[in-house]
Amino acid sequence: MAVQRRIQEAEGLNLVPVMNLVTILIPFLLMAAEFVQLAVIDSTLPQIGPTKPMEEEPEKPPLNLSLAITEKGITVLGADAVLFPDGKPEAAEGEEQPPTVPCKSGGACTGVDDYDWKRLTSILAQIKDEYPDDENVILVPDSRIKYEIIVKAMDASREDVDNPGPDGKPRLLFPYVVIAGGAM
Amino acid sequence: MALKKARRQKQGSDLNITSMMDMMTIILVFLLKSYSTSDVSVAPSDKLQLPTSTSKKAPKLAVNLVVAKDKVVVDGLPVLSLTQEPDEENPGQMTLAVPDDEMKGPVITKLYDRLLEKAEAAKALGEQSGNKEHEFKGEILLQVDREIPFSVVRSVMYTAGQARFGQFMFVVYKSE
Repeated sequence: MAVQRRIQEAEGLNLVPVMNLVTILIPFLLMAAEFVQLAVIDSTLPQIGPTKPMEEEPEKPPLNLSLAITEKGITVLGADAVLFPDGKPEAAEGEEQPPTVPCKSGGACTGVDDYDWKRLTSILAQIKDEYPDDENVILVPDSRIKYEIIVKAMDASREDVDNPGPDGKPRLLFPYVVIAGGAM
Repeated sequence: MALKKARRQKQGSDLNITSMMDMMTIILVFLLKSYSTSDVSVAPSDKLQLPTSTSKKAPKLAVNLVVAKDKVVVDGLPVLSLTQEPDEENPGQMTLAVPDDEMKGPVITKLYDRLLEKAEAAKALGEQSGNKEHEFKGEILLQVDREIPFSVVRSVMYTAGQARFGQFMFVVYKSE
Protein backbone atom coordinates (compact mmCIF):
# COMPACT_ATOMS: atom_id res chain seq x y z
CA MET A 1 0.00 0.00 0.00
CA ALA A 2 2.76 2.40 1.00
CA VAL A 3 4.79 1.52 -2.10
CA GLN A 4 1.85 2.17 -4.36
CA ARG A 5 1.28 5.61 -2.97
CA ARG A 6 4.93 6.55 -3.45
CA ILE A 7 4.73 5.62 -7.12
CA GLN A 8 1.59 7.66 -7.50
CA GLU A 9 3.24 10.71 -6.04
CA ALA A 10 6.27 10.36 -8.25
CA GLU A 11 4.08 10.41 -11.36
CA GLY A 12 2.47 13.73 -10.52
CA LEU A 13 4.34 16.02 -12.92
CA ASN A 14 3.60 19.71 -12.53
CA LEU A 15 1.99 20.62 -15.85
CA VAL A 16 0.65 24.00 -14.82
CA PRO A 17 3.43 26.14 -16.44
CA VAL A 18 3.13 24.20 -19.70
CA MET A 19 -0.57 24.71 -19.49
CA ASN A 20 -0.09 28.46 -19.10
CA LEU A 21 2.14 28.57 -22.12
CA VAL A 22 -0.24 26.61 -24.28
CA THR A 23 -3.22 28.69 -23.21
CA ILE A 24 -1.43 31.84 -24.28
CA LEU A 25 -0.22 30.30 -27.54
CA ILE A 26 -3.67 29.22 -28.63
CA PRO A 27 -5.23 32.69 -29.02
CA PHE A 28 -2.22 33.85 -31.00
CA LEU A 29 -2.34 30.89 -33.32
CA LEU A 30 -6.07 31.26 -33.68
CA MET A 31 -5.57 34.82 -34.86
CA ALA A 32 -3.08 33.77 -37.50
CA ALA A 33 -4.91 30.66 -38.58
CA GLU A 34 -6.32 30.57 -42.06
CA PHE A 35 -9.29 28.39 -42.55
CA VAL A 36 -9.53 28.95 -46.27
CA GLN A 37 -6.58 28.66 -48.55
CA LEU A 38 -6.26 31.36 -51.14
CA ALA A 39 -4.81 31.20 -54.60
CA VAL A 40 -4.71 33.57 -57.53
CA ILE A 41 -5.27 33.25 -61.25
CA ASP A 42 -3.15 35.55 -63.35
CA SER A 43 -4.64 37.35 -66.27
CA THR A 44 -3.65 40.34 -68.32
CA LEU A 45 -5.59 42.89 -70.27
CA PRO A 46 -5.74 42.32 -73.98
CA GLN A 47 -3.07 44.47 -75.57
CA ILE A 48 -4.51 47.56 -77.16
CA GLY A 49 -2.40 49.42 -79.64
CA PRO A 50 -0.85 49.16 -83.05
CA THR A 51 -0.29 45.60 -84.04
CA LYS A 52 3.31 44.65 -84.36
CA PRO A 53 4.34 43.47 -87.79
CA MET A 54 5.22 39.82 -87.84
CA GLU A 55 8.96 39.46 -87.89
CA GLU A 56 9.01 35.97 -89.17
CA GLU A 57 6.49 33.92 -90.97
CA PRO A 58 5.17 31.26 -88.61
CA GLU A 59 5.14 27.75 -89.92
CA LYS A 60 1.62 27.15 -88.77
CA PRO A 61 -1.13 29.72 -88.75
CA PRO A 62 -1.52 31.08 -85.21
CA LEU A 63 -4.13 29.34 -83.15
CA ASN A 64 -5.87 32.33 -81.54
CA LEU A 65 -7.91 30.05 -79.36
CA SER A 66 -10.98 31.71 -77.92
CA LEU A 67 -13.80 30.45 -75.79
CA ALA A 68 -17.12 32.18 -76.17
CA ILE A 69 -19.10 31.57 -73.00
CA THR A 70 -22.81 32.05 -73.38
CA GLU A 71 -25.81 30.87 -71.46
CA LYS A 72 -26.27 28.06 -73.95
CA GLY A 73 -22.82 26.65 -73.54
CA ILE A 74 -19.28 27.23 -74.63
CA THR A 75 -18.15 27.70 -78.20
CA VAL A 76 -14.53 26.97 -78.96
CA LEU A 77 -13.26 29.39 -81.56
CA GLY A 78 -9.93 28.92 -83.18
CA ALA A 79 -8.82 31.13 -86.03
CA ASP A 80 -12.29 32.58 -86.47
CA ALA A 81 -14.03 29.31 -87.09
CA VAL A 82 -15.38 26.63 -84.86
CA LEU A 83 -12.53 24.24 -84.62
CA PHE A 84 -13.34 20.62 -84.92
CA PRO A 85 -10.68 18.92 -82.90
CA ASP A 86 -11.74 15.57 -84.22
CA GLY A 87 -9.98 16.79 -87.32
CA LYS A 88 -11.78 14.67 -89.85
CA PRO A 89 -14.33 16.49 -91.97
CA GLU A 90 -16.85 13.69 -91.56
CA ALA A 91 -16.79 14.27 -87.82
CA ALA A 92 -17.84 17.85 -88.41
CA GLU A 93 -21.50 18.33 -87.76
CA GLY A 94 -21.88 20.98 -90.40
CA GLU A 95 -24.08 23.13 -88.23
CA GLU A 96 -22.47 26.16 -86.73
CA GLN A 97 -25.30 27.33 -84.54
CA PRO A 98 -25.06 25.09 -81.47
CA PRO A 99 -22.14 25.70 -79.12
CA THR A 100 -19.21 23.31 -79.21
CA VAL A 101 -19.86 22.31 -75.62
CA PRO A 102 -23.59 22.57 -74.94
CA CYS A 103 -25.06 22.50 -71.47
CA LYS A 104 -25.69 19.09 -69.97
CA SER A 105 -29.38 19.90 -69.65
CA GLY A 106 -29.62 20.76 -73.33
CA GLY A 107 -31.11 24.23 -73.20
CA ALA A 108 -29.85 27.21 -71.26
CA CYS A 109 -27.39 26.41 -68.51
CA THR A 110 -28.93 26.53 -65.06
CA GLY A 111 -25.74 26.77 -63.05
CA VAL A 112 -22.03 26.20 -62.96
CA ASP A 113 -22.33 22.45 -62.88
CA ASP A 114 -24.58 22.41 -65.89
CA TYR A 115 -21.70 23.38 -68.15
CA ASP A 116 -19.84 20.35 -69.43
CA TRP A 117 -16.38 21.23 -68.12
CA LYS A 118 -14.99 17.73 -68.61
CA ARG A 119 -15.88 17.78 -72.28
CA LEU A 120 -14.41 21.26 -72.70
CA THR A 121 -11.17 20.10 -71.14
CA SER A 122 -10.99 17.05 -73.36
CA ILE A 123 -11.62 19.18 -76.47
CA LEU A 124 -8.93 21.61 -75.39
CA ALA A 125 -6.56 18.70 -74.74
CA GLN A 126 -7.06 17.59 -78.33
CA ILE A 127 -6.35 21.12 -79.56
CA LYS A 128 -3.24 21.16 -77.39
CA ASP A 129 -2.08 17.96 -79.11
CA GLU A 130 -2.11 19.80 -82.41
CA TYR A 131 -0.65 23.04 -81.11
CA PRO A 132 1.70 21.97 -78.33
CA ASP A 133 3.46 25.34 -78.18
CA ASP A 134 0.38 27.48 -77.81
CA GLU A 135 -0.40 28.56 -74.26
CA ASN A 136 -2.86 31.39 -74.65
CA VAL A 137 -6.60 31.34 -74.55
CA ILE A 138 -8.99 34.25 -74.86
CA LEU A 139 -12.24 34.13 -72.94
CA VAL A 140 -15.16 36.04 -74.39
CA PRO A 141 -17.98 35.77 -71.87
CA ASP A 142 -21.47 37.06 -72.39
CA SER A 143 -22.48 40.06 -70.23
CA ARG A 144 -24.73 38.03 -67.98
CA ILE A 145 -22.31 35.20 -67.36
CA LYS A 146 -21.46 34.97 -63.68
CA TYR A 147 -17.90 35.38 -62.50
CA GLU A 148 -17.91 31.89 -61.02
CA ILE A 149 -18.42 30.40 -64.48
CA ILE A 150 -15.57 32.45 -65.91
CA VAL A 151 -13.25 31.16 -63.18
CA LYS A 152 -14.40 27.63 -63.86
CA ALA A 153 -13.70 28.09 -67.57
CA MET A 154 -10.20 29.32 -66.71
CA ASP A 155 -9.74 26.19 -64.60
CA ALA A 156 -10.97 23.92 -67.36
CA SER A 157 -8.60 25.47 -69.87
CA ARG A 158 -5.59 25.65 -67.59
CA GLU A 159 -4.90 22.03 -66.89
CA ASP A 160 -6.20 18.57 -67.52
CA VAL A 161 -6.67 17.29 -63.99
CA ASP A 162 -8.02 13.91 -65.00
CA ASN A 163 -5.09 12.98 -67.21
CA PRO A 164 -1.90 13.57 -65.31
CA GLY A 165 1.31 13.56 -67.30
CA PRO A 166 4.25 11.23 -66.69
CA ASP A 167 5.39 13.33 -63.72
CA GLY A 168 2.04 12.89 -61.99
CA LYS A 169 1.11 16.55 -62.35
CA PRO A 170 -1.92 17.55 -64.40
CA ARG A 171 -1.06 18.31 -67.99
CA LEU A 172 -0.92 22.03 -68.69
CA LEU A 173 -3.18 23.09 -71.52
CA PHE A 174 -3.57 26.83 -71.99
CA PRO A 175 -2.47 28.51 -68.76
CA TYR A 176 -2.33 32.09 -70.03
CA VAL A 177 -5.81 33.50 -69.94
CA VAL A 178 -6.89 36.80 -71.37
CA ILE A 179 -10.42 37.99 -70.79
CA ALA A 180 -11.74 39.91 -73.73
CA GLY A 181 -14.50 42.37 -73.14
CA GLY A 182 -16.50 41.89 -76.26
CA ALA A 183 -18.47 44.87 -77.44
CA MET A 184 -19.05 47.51 -74.80
CA MET B 1 -14.39 7.59 6.75
CA ALA B 2 -12.93 10.54 8.57
CA LEU B 3 -9.47 9.54 7.42
CA LYS B 4 -10.53 9.44 3.80
CA LYS B 5 -12.04 12.88 4.01
CA ALA B 6 -8.90 14.33 5.50
CA ARG B 7 -6.79 12.90 2.72
CA ARG B 8 -9.05 14.29 0.07
CA GLN B 9 -8.76 17.73 1.57
CA LYS B 10 -4.99 17.48 1.59
CA GLN B 11 -4.88 16.60 -2.07
CA GLY B 12 -7.62 19.03 -3.03
CA SER B 13 -5.16 21.60 -4.28
CA ASP B 14 -3.86 19.74 -7.34
CA LEU B 15 -6.42 19.52 -10.09
CA ASN B 16 -5.95 16.82 -12.66
CA ILE B 17 -5.25 18.79 -15.79
CA THR B 18 -3.63 16.04 -17.81
CA SER B 19 -6.67 15.48 -20.03
CA MET B 20 -7.01 19.20 -20.67
CA MET B 21 -3.35 19.27 -21.52
CA ASP B 22 -3.93 16.50 -24.08
CA MET B 23 -6.69 18.50 -25.69
CA MET B 24 -4.64 21.66 -25.79
CA THR B 25 -1.73 19.85 -27.39
CA ILE B 26 -3.94 18.55 -30.14
CA ILE B 27 -5.49 21.97 -30.73
CA LEU B 28 -2.00 23.46 -30.83
CA VAL B 29 -0.91 21.07 -33.55
CA PHE B 30 -3.95 21.84 -35.70
CA LEU B 31 -3.58 25.57 -35.28
CA LEU B 32 0.09 25.37 -36.18
CA LYS B 33 -0.87 23.45 -39.29
CA SER B 34 -3.27 26.14 -40.41
CA TYR B 35 -0.84 28.94 -39.59
CA SER B 36 -1.02 31.49 -42.33
CA THR B 37 2.07 33.02 -43.82
CA SER B 38 0.29 34.62 -46.74
CA ASP B 39 0.19 38.42 -47.06
CA VAL B 40 -3.25 38.48 -48.53
CA SER B 41 -6.32 38.03 -46.45
CA VAL B 42 -9.98 38.11 -47.25
CA ALA B 43 -12.89 38.91 -45.03
CA PRO B 44 -15.50 36.45 -46.20
CA SER B 45 -19.10 37.48 -45.77
CA ASP B 46 -22.35 36.65 -47.47
CA LYS B 47 -21.74 39.62 -49.77
CA LEU B 48 -18.34 38.34 -50.84
CA GLN B 49 -18.04 34.68 -51.66
CA LEU B 50 -15.05 33.96 -53.80
CA PRO B 51 -15.23 31.14 -56.33
CA THR B 52 -13.16 28.02 -55.89
CA SER B 53 -10.47 27.10 -58.35
CA THR B 54 -7.83 24.49 -58.94
CA SER B 55 -5.17 27.17 -59.30
CA LYS B 56 -2.19 26.74 -56.99
CA LYS B 57 -0.47 30.06 -57.49
CA ALA B 58 0.16 31.86 -54.21
CA PRO B 59 -1.16 35.40 -53.90
CA LYS B 60 1.19 38.36 -53.81
CA LEU B 61 0.71 41.65 -52.06
CA ALA B 62 -0.82 44.25 -54.35
CA VAL B 63 -3.59 46.80 -54.50
CA ASN B 64 -6.71 45.06 -53.31
CA LEU B 65 -9.89 45.60 -55.29
CA VAL B 66 -12.99 43.94 -53.89
CA VAL B 67 -16.21 43.64 -55.85
CA ALA B 68 -18.84 42.42 -53.42
CA LYS B 69 -22.54 42.00 -54.09
CA ASP B 70 -23.30 45.50 -52.81
CA LYS B 71 -20.20 47.61 -53.25
CA VAL B 72 -16.74 48.08 -54.69
CA VAL B 73 -13.92 48.48 -52.18
CA VAL B 74 -10.32 49.50 -52.85
CA ASP B 75 -7.79 48.68 -50.13
CA GLY B 76 -10.44 48.60 -47.45
CA LEU B 77 -12.20 51.84 -48.39
CA PRO B 78 -15.58 51.65 -50.12
CA VAL B 79 -15.67 53.45 -53.46
CA LEU B 80 -19.14 52.98 -54.80
CA SER B 81 -22.27 50.92 -54.37
CA LEU B 82 -23.71 48.50 -56.87
CA THR B 83 -27.42 48.51 -57.52
CA GLN B 84 -29.97 46.02 -58.70
CA GLU B 85 -31.28 47.03 -62.06
CA PRO B 86 -33.82 45.40 -64.33
CA ASP B 87 -32.18 43.13 -66.83
CA GLU B 88 -32.63 44.59 -70.31
CA GLU B 89 -32.36 41.33 -72.16
CA ASN B 90 -34.29 39.32 -69.64
CA PRO B 91 -37.45 41.20 -68.65
CA GLY B 92 -38.69 40.66 -65.16
CA GLN B 93 -35.31 39.71 -63.79
CA MET B 94 -32.90 41.86 -61.87
CA THR B 95 -29.20 42.05 -62.41
CA LEU B 96 -26.37 43.72 -60.53
CA ALA B 97 -25.03 46.79 -62.24
CA VAL B 98 -22.92 49.86 -61.74
CA PRO B 99 -25.24 52.90 -61.50
CA ASP B 100 -25.30 54.82 -64.77
CA ASP B 101 -24.38 58.14 -63.18
CA GLU B 102 -21.11 56.61 -61.95
CA MET B 103 -20.12 55.69 -65.46
CA LYS B 104 -18.43 57.80 -68.06
CA GLY B 105 -18.50 55.71 -71.17
CA PRO B 106 -17.09 52.35 -70.18
CA VAL B 107 -15.12 53.80 -67.24
CA ILE B 108 -16.35 53.89 -63.64
CA THR B 109 -15.23 57.41 -62.71
CA LYS B 110 -14.92 57.12 -58.90
CA LEU B 111 -13.07 53.85 -59.17
CA TYR B 112 -10.80 55.28 -61.85
CA ASP B 113 -9.85 58.26 -59.66
CA ARG B 114 -9.13 56.07 -56.66
CA LEU B 115 -7.10 53.54 -58.63
CA LEU B 116 -5.12 56.26 -60.37
CA GLU B 117 -4.19 57.66 -56.94
CA LYS B 118 -3.07 54.20 -55.89
CA ALA B 119 -1.09 53.74 -59.09
CA GLU B 120 0.67 57.09 -58.69
CA ALA B 121 1.48 56.34 -55.04
CA ALA B 122 2.81 52.89 -55.89
CA LYS B 123 4.87 54.27 -58.73
CA ALA B 124 6.39 57.00 -56.55
CA LEU B 125 7.17 54.44 -53.88
CA GLY B 126 8.81 52.17 -56.41
CA GLU B 127 10.98 54.98 -57.73
CA GLN B 128 12.00 56.03 -54.25
CA SER B 129 13.08 52.58 -53.20
CA GLY B 130 15.10 52.16 -56.37
CA ASN B 131 14.67 48.44 -56.00
CA LYS B 132 13.62 46.58 -59.12
CA GLU B 133 11.50 44.30 -57.01
CA HIS B 134 9.30 47.12 -55.76
CA GLU B 135 8.82 48.63 -59.17
CA PHE B 136 5.23 49.33 -60.11
CA LYS B 137 4.12 46.55 -62.38
CA GLY B 138 0.43 47.32 -62.45
CA GLU B 139 -0.51 44.31 -60.38
CA ILE B 140 -3.91 44.28 -58.78
CA LEU B 141 -5.69 41.69 -56.68
CA LEU B 142 -9.29 41.25 -57.69
CA GLN B 143 -11.64 39.70 -55.18
CA VAL B 144 -14.91 39.26 -56.96
CA ASP B 145 -18.02 37.62 -55.63
CA ARG B 146 -19.04 34.52 -57.55
CA GLU B 147 -22.46 35.92 -58.44
CA ILE B 148 -21.22 39.11 -60.10
CA PRO B 149 -22.22 39.23 -63.78
CA PHE B 150 -19.51 39.70 -66.35
CA SER B 151 -20.81 43.13 -67.36
CA VAL B 152 -19.74 44.49 -63.96
CA VAL B 153 -16.45 42.59 -63.97
CA ARG B 154 -15.73 43.95 -67.44
CA SER B 155 -16.33 47.56 -66.39
CA VAL B 156 -14.13 47.11 -63.33
CA MET B 157 -11.36 45.47 -65.37
CA TYR B 158 -11.56 48.12 -68.06
CA THR B 159 -11.40 50.89 -65.46
CA ALA B 160 -8.42 49.25 -63.75
CA GLY B 161 -6.74 48.91 -67.12
CA GLN B 162 -7.24 52.60 -67.80
CA ALA B 163 -5.73 53.39 -64.40
CA ARG B 164 -2.57 51.49 -65.42
CA PHE B 165 -3.33 48.26 -63.65
CA GLY B 166 -2.92 45.61 -66.29
CA GLN B 167 -1.80 42.54 -64.38
CA PHE B 168 -4.87 41.04 -62.81
CA MET B 169 -4.72 38.45 -60.10
CA PHE B 170 -8.10 36.94 -59.46
CA VAL B 171 -8.26 35.79 -55.87
CA VAL B 172 -9.98 32.43 -55.47
CA TYR B 173 -10.36 29.76 -52.84
CA LYS B 174 -8.09 26.84 -53.39
CA SER B 175 -10.12 23.68 -53.81
CA GLU B 176 -8.97 20.70 -51.81
